[in-house]
Amino acid sequence: MKSPLAPYVFLLRNLSKSTPLAGVIVLAVLLISGIVVIMNSIPLSIRTTYSYSRFHTGVTPRGNPAMTPTLKKIILDESPVALGPLMTCRAADCEVKSIVGPWRFVVIALEQNDMRSYAARLGATKLTGRWPRKGEPEAVVSEPILKNMQLKMGSAILKPEDSNNYSPKPVKIVGVLRTDQWLAMMPIEYHRANHFPPIDLLVVMAKSLDEQDKLDHWIYERFKGMQARVFAYFKLEEETTEMFKILYSILNVVIGLLVIVITLMMALLMNIYQSQRVQEFGLLQAIGLSRNTLLRRILAESAIVVFLGWVMGLVSSLAFLSLIRKVLFDPRAFMLDPFDRTAYLYTVPVPIVIFAVSALTIWTKFHKFDPVGVVERRLV
Amino acid sequence: MIEARSASLVYEDNGKEVFACHDIDLRVKDGEFIGILGPSGSGKSSLLYVLCGLKRATSGGVAFDGQDYSSISGEALAGLRLKNFGFVFQYPYLLGYLSALENVMLGYPNPGSKTKDEAEAQLRSLGLADKAHRFPHQLSGGERQRVCIGRALLGTKRVVFADEPTANLDHLNGMAVVETLVSNRGSGSLVMVTHDPSMLERADRVVTILDGKIHSV
Ligand SMILES: Nc1ncnc2c1ncn2[C@@H]1O[C@H](COP(=O)(O)OP(=O)(O)OP(=O)(O)O)[C@@H](O)[C@H]1O
Ligand SMILES: [Mg+2]
Repeated sequence: MKSPLAPYVFLLRNLSKSTPLAGVIVLAVLLISGIVVIMNSIPLSIRTTYSYSRFHTGVTPRGNPAMTPTLKKIILDESPVALGPLMTCRAADCEVKSIVGPWRFVVIALEQNDMRSYAARLGATKLTGRWPRKGEPEAVVSEPILKNMQLKMGSAILKPEDSNNYSPKPVKIVGVLRTDQWLAMMPIEYHRANHFPPIDLLVVMAKSLDEQDKLDHWIYERFKGMQARVFAYFKLEEETTEMFKILYSILNVVIGLLVIVITLMMALLMNIYQSQRVQEFGLLQAIGLSRNTLLRRILAESAIVVFLGWVMGLVSSLAFLSLIRKVLFDPRAFMLDPFDRTAYLYTVPVPIVIFAVSALTIWTKFHKFDPVGVVERRLV
Repeated sequence: MIEARSASLVYEDNGKEVFACHDIDLRVKDGEFIGILGPSGSGKSSLLYVLCGLKRATSGGVAFDGQDYSSISGEALAGLRLKNFGFVFQYPYLLGYLSALENVMLGYPNPGSKTKDEAEAQLRSLGLADKAHRFPHQLSGGERQRVCIGRALLGTKRVVFADEPTANLDHLNGMAVVETLVSNRGSGSLVMVTHDPSMLERADRVVTILDGKIHSV
C-alpha cells in the first residue's frame, strides 16, 4: 500500500491546485521555445534558400564587363585546389517569399550541358517534365521554389507584367527537380537575347565538394582589390551571423525578463499555494513527523510539478510548432525547425529558477514554524 | 515513563514573562489515566505540550523513559513522539484529501505493509469500518474525532495525549469519545485535558491546574 504522504498523492488529489502551477510552466516553456524557434527560422531560411551557393563560388566582374576572361584565366592558372566545372552564366532577378517579406533570388542562365551538371552537382538528379530548350523562354526549378512562389508546371516564373519577376516574354516552367535545394535555371541564350545587364558571370566548382570552402576563401582573397565581386557561402554565413547578433542579444534580454516575470508570478502562486497548507504542515508536525521529512516531501512535490510542467511544456511546444510548420510554413516552403535544440535550451532556466524560488519560499515559510499555533487554531 | 521536574514554560509578552507552566513536578506512569482540570488560560494545554515535547520546557526538565528532551535534537524528539505518543486535539484535524483510513495510517511510526491492516482494525474497533473509504467532509464531527483517535492509537502508543477532545461535541458524544479513548488505548497511558470533570470519572488521577501551577492531585 502506498503511503498516504507520497508526494504524488497530494498532487493527484488536488489537481485543481497542482495543474495551474504546471500550466504556468507549460505556457512559459511554450512561449519561450516558440519565440526562439520562430526567430531561428529566419537565419535557417536564409541558409536554406541560398544553400545552392555552397556548391560553387560565384564571381562577377565589377565596373568592367570585359574582366571576366581575365578572372577566369587567373582561376584556371592559380587555383590551389583541383577544379571541377567552370561555367559561364548570367543571372535574372526574381523574388521569393519569406516570413519577413520578399527576398531576392536568381534564375541562373546556363548552357544546356551546364544546367544538367549544375543540377547533378546539387544532387538533383530526378526531373519531372523536361529540360528547357536552347534559347527558349523556359525554366527548370526545384520543388521548394515551386511551393514558395506558388507556381505549377507550365506557369511562368518570369513575365513581362511582373516587375519583380521580369522578363520580356513569359518564361514557363517545363521541368521540376526533386530536391530540397532552392534552384531555378533557364537557357543562357534566352538571357543574352532578352535580359540586361550583358555581363557574364563565373560559376567555379572545386572538383571535390569538400574543397569548395577552401576554394571560396582562396578566390575571395585572390580577388580582393580587383574589379571583381565574389559570392561565397562562408560570406553569407558571416553576414547572417552578424545580422542576427544584435537581434539575438535583444532576444536574450527579452527571454531573461520573461523568466524573471514568470518566476515572480510562480513565487507568488507558490506562496499562496503553500499558505493553504500551513494547517497540514502543522498537524503532521504535531503528530510527530519531523520537519525535515515534511520539507523533503513538499520539495519533492514542487520538483514533480515543475519537472512535469517543463516536460509537458516541451511536448506541447513540439506539437504546437510542428502544427505551425505543417499549416503555415510548409505550404510556402518556409523553414522552421520544431526540434531546434537551442530553443529548448533557452527553457532550461525556467524549471530551475522556479524550483529554486519555490524551495526558498517553502524554506522561509516552514523552517521556523510552531505547530502549536496550528493545533490551537491560532492561525486561520 | 514521563517525568517532569520543576518544568516551566515561559512566554514572552511585551518584555514581560508569562508563566504558562510554573515548576511542574509530575510523573505519568505506565497505563495510567491522568485527567488535567483547570479554568481557561490556566496552562492545561501548555502542560500537555511540555509533557509530550511539542514545546520544550524553558527551565527544568522533562524525560521519557529516562531520556531528557533537552538532550536530543528536534528531529529525534519528533521521531520519539511519532513512535511513542498519540495526540487528540480539540479540533478534529484531518487531511481533507485523504480518506478516513489513510488519515488513520498517518499515525503509524514506520509505514509498511501492515499499516493498512492495522488502520482497518483500528477503524473497526471504533465502529467506523463501513466509513473507512469516506473523506473527512463526508463524516460528522463525532466521527471525525473518532478517526483522530484511531490515528492517535495506531501502532500501540505508549502515551495518548488528548486536549479537550470533547469540547466540540455534545455530552453524549463526548462521553462516547472518552470511553473509546479509555478502552482502546490498550496498555498505554492517557493524559487528558478537559474543563468538564464529568469526563474524568474513569481517571486514575486528576490534576488541577491554576495559573500554571499544580493546585491539587
Ligand atoms: N504564544 C503565547 N504567547 C504568550 N502567552 C501565551 C502563549 N500561548 C499561551 N499563552 C498564555 O499562557 C497561558 C496558558 O495558556 P494555555 O493555552 O496553556 O491555557 P489553557 O489552560 O489550555 O486554556 P484553555 O482552556 O482556554 O485552552 C495563558 O495565560 C495564555 O495567555
Ligand atoms: Mg487549551
